[in-house]
Amino acid sequence: MIFSLLQRIGQMLFVMFGISLLVFLIFFATPGADPAARIAGRNASPEVLEAVRKSFGFDQPMYVQYLTMMKKIFITGDLTSFVNRGWKVVPAVMDTIPVTLSLVFGAAILWVVFALIIGIVAAATRGSWIDKILMMLGLIGISMPVYWLGEVMNLLTQSRYHDTWLFSWVPPLGYKNFSDDPKGWFLTLVIPWITLSILYIGLYGRVLRAAIVESLQEDYIRTARAKGLSETRILLRHALRTSLVAFVTLFGLDFGALVGGSALLTEVVFGLQGVGKLTYDALLNLDLPIIMTTVLYASFFVVMANAVVDILYMMLDPRVRTA
Amino acid sequence: MKKLMLAGAAALTIALSALTPAQAEYKAEHRGGTMRLVARSAAGTLDPQINYTLQYWQIYQSVYSGLTAFKKGAGEAGFEVVPNLAEELPAASNDGKTYTFKIRKGVKFSDGRDVTIKDVVASFQRIFKVSSPTSGGFYSVIVGADACIATPATCTLEGGVTGDEAAGTVTINLTRADPEFMFKLAVPHASILPADTPTTDAGSVPLAGTGPYFFSAYDPNKGLTMSRNPHFKVWSEDAMPDGYPDVVQYDFGLTDEAEVNAVMNGEADWMFDQPPTDRLGEIGTKYKDQVYINTLTAWWYAPMNTRLAPFDNLKARQAVNYAIDRKALVNLFGGPVLAAPVCQVLPPGFPAHVPYCPYTKDPGEKWSAPDIEKAKQLVEESGTKGQKVTVIVEDTAVSKSIGVYLQSVLKEIGYDAEVKPISPNIQFTYIQNTNNKVQISVSQWYQDYPAASNFLNVLFGCSSFTEGSDSSINIAGFCDKDVETKMKDAFALAATDPVAANKIWTEVDRMVTDTAPAAPLFTPKHIDFVSKRLGNFQFNAQFYWMVTQSWVQ
Repeated sequence: MIFSLLQRIGQMLFVMFGISLLVFLIFFATPGADPAARIAGRNASPEVLEAVRKSFGFDQPMYVQYLTMMKKIFITGDLTSFVNRGWKVVPAVMDTIPVTLSLVFGAAILWVVFALIIGIVAAATRGSWIDKILMMLGLIGISMPVYWLGEVMNLLTQSRYHDTWLFSWVPPLGYKNFSDDPKGWFLTLVIPWITLSILYIGLYGRVLRAAIVESLQEDYIRTARAKGLSETRILLRHALRTSLVAFVTLFGLDFGALVGGSALLTEVVFGLQGVGKLTYDALLNLDLPIIMTTVLYASFFVVMANAVVDILYMMLDPRVRTA
Repeated sequence: MKKLMLAGAAALTIALSALTPAQAEYKAEHRGGTMRLVARSAAGTLDPQINYTLQYWQIYQSVYSGLTAFKKGAGEAGFEVVPNLAEELPAASNDGKTYTFKIRKGVKFSDGRDVTIKDVVASFQRIFKVSSPTSGGFYSVIVGADACIATPATCTLEGGVTGDEAAGTVTINLTRADPEFMFKLAVPHASILPADTPTTDAGSVPLAGTGPYFFSAYDPNKGLTMSRNPHFKVWSEDAMPDGYPDVVQYDFGLTDEAEVNAVMNGEADWMFDQPPTDRLGEIGTKYKDQVYINTLTAWWYAPMNTRLAPFDNLKARQAVNYAIDRKALVNLFGGPVLAAPVCQVLPPGFPAHVPYCPYTKDPGEKWSAPDIEKAKQLVEESGTKGQKVTVIVEDTAVSKSIGVYLQSVLKEIGYDAEVKPISPNIQFTYIQNTNNKVQISVSQWYQDYPAASNFLNVLFGCSSFTEGSDSSINIAGFCDKDVETKMKDAFALAATDPVAANKIWTEVDRMVTDTAPAAPLFTPKHIDFVSKRLGNFQFNAQFYWMVTQSWVQ
């Protein structure tokens, strides 16, 4: 147990080191990426440019710059942005985490609940028209790009039908703190939750249905039937349980990635100042300190989520436990 | 796409650009309320001596003051310099090299302390200590600036800026007469800050100012809050009038589409970004009373590298100028309501501007139509036909379409052209660096202050060119002896006879236009889209909409 935990931590450190190095090298290998002139401002004289270069340490060898940056992220925590100078990056990223967590948790609840319902109903009625309609809806959900869906949602709720009874409750875009205004927090997030979860509801519903249908062919299901268990019990207690392995694997990866910043399109479209939006803005501005910090943060979450998934496996599938 | 833009533009023509008379009386009944502004993103450090963006310069107008200021009036009144923390504009002595400012008494910073002579002197030193972007440009004329630029940490401006506590004056000595010095004192980089302000970039920590508002909160990811400065008393209606709203809340993070929605729904009072072209039709018809369009003293241009084939050849450069259909470009930008064709450097409405257009079917004052035949002939004569040319543009919808258009023109007149769009944040420094071997690109220049040199000398002076540097604003690498001499003459004359100097600048404008280091494309206009409740909108030619001069109740 301790060994596997250490192994996990070792893996995580290795992944994070590799990613940080890659981000760093790609940034400085990009032509025209030298941040000195952008920091110095337009039409800065050569002397001023040199002074800025020095004060930001761009005249140091690459490995020194890399190590300084790592030190500033992990030890002193005082890394500042290249674009919004003096803006401390680590607290900025920390500030955005609650926003992203609010968005992703809410959406995750929606998508797990609805995907379970759709998957189970479709599997139970497989071959019927209910199954076909559900699967078709799922496919439509998967096919809609989230930024497009978000903009359409905005068009409907913020512009075209904003003044009608249907959407007059929708507050202006942006995030409200849960502690300041719980109702406002909930209302601003309803539309983003729905937007983000639609893709996953479709995807997970389809995956779950396929997994259940497959596990219904297994030997232990035949045994259960032979014991005379009811179909409902077989479906929910036996087939569903093992089918959830695939579901949980996917969930772990997606959830980790979303918390890590993959919800950026949803965040950008709805003006939610989360990790994804922070990363997106930093990419637009070539703000290396922020890109570096959010990427490290994201890789941390993806590795963590995978570890959690492994533990869940053991609980769900007895076969994994002995292996 | 094009059609949509045209439709939008047509609708916008109906929109009014109402101007209220300058210096209206303060209407106390409109005082109060919270004004909400929205922008796509923050604009960097809040330090007024470092930030070099129009986005923040606009709001600094009611937060920081310098010794002088641009008049807070509508339209071109904004180009006039008035005394601010100085009691009056001093006359120059010592051949235009010495100015003595009497500092106003009784002005307080937002932290309650008095503005003293010490603060003024320290603020000038701080420009260099924090390596302000313009320290090597605007302020290098101050005596002692050289030493300060070389070693910022120990900057004293010895003999350059000296205070006299007893007399309440500050004397500034220059190395040469600088007729633009009063302008330079009026831009935010010369703001007066408390003497004990840290001599490093303040970043996201607000600094105390002297205006009617102060920055009470700033988070670059969320927003900026301006609240009333309790210690403010009006000392000059022209330089620093009182504002109407109690609080100005500037929120960041919405997309331009969402910003339009927010203004339409009355959730925001103004959007910083230009509305996307697909919304112009709606804005120009349904919301026409809430739109203001103003011409900017700026230009979009295509600098051509005069040190690289094929544009090291004068005829090749002129050919491009003849061939460009500026009407097509105007349409790409959103139609005649949002831009006007131009074929010279100085924008209309700018000092020394005299209409001049050699690159058109019938050369004269105005551009009428492209002359492709002439262009083809010039390319033929230049012997550069068939050469490879790459157009470098920003990766934005408008710039890309302009790039693709330029590609088609270059192809038509005989070049093997391609377009390379690169990220908007890299493009501007990328095209400046000679190491990147950029032949032709598309860029913009907005004035810092209303002086012809701010276009001609900055963009085409020999001193603005630095080989192999990301900061070499003379993108064309243009350095012409005759032009340089003429500019020197103009500078020399400006101190004593500004009118005659401007005549020389007009000639310089023609000379540069004739030698074509760039292809002027069009003069852009600016759209301000405001909420229904916002009143007293005034557009200042220097710093655009005067935010706190409008009211929300």
